[in-house]
Amino acid sequence: MLTRLFRLALWLRPPPGWRWPVLGLIGLTLGLGAVIFHQSKAWSYLYDDPAACINCHIMVPQYTTWKHSSHGRDVTCNDCHVPHSNIAAKYFFKAKDGMRHATLFTLGMEEQVIRITPPSMAVVQENCVRCHGNLNHPVGTDTATVARAMHGDGHLCWECHREVPHGRVNSLSSVPNARVQLEARTIPDWIRDTLAHGGRK
Amino acid sequence: MKSMQDLTGKRPWLAALFFVATVAVGIGAGLLLSSVATRKAEARFAYTTRTDIAADESRNEIWGRSYPLEYESWKKTEDTTFQSEFGGARNTDLLEKDPRMVVLWAGYAFSKEYNHPHGHAWAVKDIRKILRTGAPNDTDKGPQPATCWTCKSPDVPRLMAKMGAADFYHKKWSELGPEVINPIGCLDCHDPKTMALRVSRPALVEAFQRQGKDITKASHAEMRSLVCAQCHVEYYFKGPGKYLTFPWDSGTSVEKIEAYYDTIKFSDWTHALSRTPLLKAQHPDYEVFQMGIHAQRGLSCADCHMPYSTQGGQKFSDHHVQSPLNNIANSCQVCHRQDADELRRNVYERQRKVDEENIRLEDVLVRAHLEAKAAWDHGADSIEMAPVLALIRRAQWRWDFANAGHGNSFHAPVEIARMLAHGIGFGQEARVELARIFAKHQIPEVAYPDISTKAKAQELLGMKMDKLKADKQVFLEKVVPQWVRAGQEREAKLPQ
Repeated sequence: MLTRLFRLALWLRPPPGWRWPVLGLIGLTLGLGAVIFHQSKAWSYLYDDPAACINCHIMVPQYTTWKHSSHGRDVTCNDCHVPHSNIAAKYFFKAKDGMRHATLFTLGMEEQVIRITPPSMAVVQENCVRCHGNLNHPVGTDTATVARAMHGDGHLCWECHREVPHGRVNSLSSVPNARVQLEARTIPDWIRDTLAHGGRK
Repeated sequence: MKSMQDLTGKRPWLAALFFVATVAVGIGAGLLLSSVATRKAEARFAYTTRTDIAADESRNEIWGRSYPLEYESWKKTEDTTFQSEFGGARNTDLLEKDPRMVVLWAGYAFSKEYNHPHGHAWAVKDIRKILRTGAPNDTDKGPQPATCWTCKSPDVPRLMAKMGAADFYHKKWSELGPEVINPIGCLDCHDPKTMALRVSRPALVEAFQRQGKDITKASHAEMRSLVCAQCHVEYYFKGPGKYLTFPWDSGTSVEKIEAYYDTIKFSDWTHALSRTPLLKAQHPDYEVFQMGIHAQRGLSCADCHMPYSTQGGQKFSDHHVQSPLNNIANSCQVCHRQDADELRRNVYERQRKVDEENIRLEDVLVRAHLEAKAAWDHGADSIEMAPVLALIRRAQWRWDFANAGHGNSFHAPVEIARMLAHGIGFGQEARVELARIFAKHQIPEVAYPDISTKAKAQELLGMKMDKLKADKQVFLEKVVPQWVRAGQEREAKLPQ
């Protein structure tokens, strides 16, 4: 293995006169890559913290509507929006969705009203059933899939549960006041400062 | 394997292709980086205010420029048209509606004037106008401490941040008249920078601290009730410094709060007829709400009193804080599928039943106060009267606690009916004790007086209402305009 890597390195080796410029270019590339990694908070996409989904602000309405919903307490974005069949499927889907988002957003092609895409619908529907299958087995939700619904055979969960979990009004233009308060402080500094001595300054 | 050198030596276009590809990747990476930076800058403005709001900005209209939907809906709290069976926004004269209350509060300012509450926008005007605050002038600073301003205005946190809460409470109400001119509004509940919900009054924070709870750990859902609980709670003015204090140290039920007051031997006033050292309940809305089914199912005040609303496709929280009965569609019907009339009937049914108990207790208490007076008049001594007064205190505390809240009989009907039933029991026990004293001192039966109107009830107590009203009129015409002018001149110097 090591010898093969070594041979690959030899093969890639630039002619002697080019070595220094090439090394420099590789360094520049790595540096630029590190800056991009840091600036775009790329590491956050590896985890399940919903805050990663509002790294780019256009998802803020979706974030706040979720946070105020019944799913806001214990369920994260990833619980519904990426597959949970196996870890490879999860990260493949994440990477695929992420590339799409990054491309659209970089090129300024995002919509004012963000809508779910068919592959994403299939994942969400599977995840509804994944958690709620046991709760409502008399309804037989296991058979409700996007493929069947597309053929007019049955419905998807959110066709009836329309407020779950993002509400009906959640586009960029309709909730301009949906602010994210990751670090909300519940009392002003002056109260905190006077608490210890009976309200005296 | 050939080296790359050999490879490109034979096929120079391969090197060119590699070069072009790396240039493209470089452009892509640069584009991504610049886009990330631009979008980050954009995000900072997309969700921030249009104009900077100062940390102590108490003028609601300045906030309104950045938050027009919330501000316009808040302005609707000026509307006084709504009326329900037991409440509404009309500032109804409750002493006229039920003159027994005049007798129950004999010797206390509440017997002068007591009205159904108005919307938030009326807070400052109403407290100046009400007879309870008296008629301060150049020579007389009036009866009330500045603590009475605490819940009336966003000028209060502005002043407290400057002078400290203790020094604020220590002043007279009239001394701060020129400073407090804006009615309950934005700064009372919001952080001007982040617009996050924020508790701006120290009393609630201190009450949490004494209970060993940390209010800074409150969730957003809890904050949607806690900002209301800064004011809509039972409180008292502690000591000569009139320090606003919530009596929650051992709990928030009617019995726990009573035990707290008994322990520190506190009374708000001594009843003019029965000489009972009594407690005046303020408005224990938050405490009572916690004991009802809606709180137990996890709702917050704002869920029903400030429901989400849409205007032109924009979603916002309705700042027209009012009775949900005036907005059943957005409040009740978000969860309950029944039609509005049926829901309203359900509310009234509970309120009527509670009110039946309430009126019974009031009658018992009026009789007890009058009979106690007769007992004193006929020579009963304080040792004989002690158990009577203790029972009257307990009965009236329960009556007042049940009555003073704005929506008590809906928020927790069973709890309120329970405390009224206990009140009737204590009141009747007091009258049994009184009957013994009557027999011993051979006191004739006390006739139930004619208190069919407020005027008759006040006359019974010998209250000089004409003088009070005339003084108030002078205050409103001479002093208040000076306060308003001084306040406006101060604000005119601030950045507009």
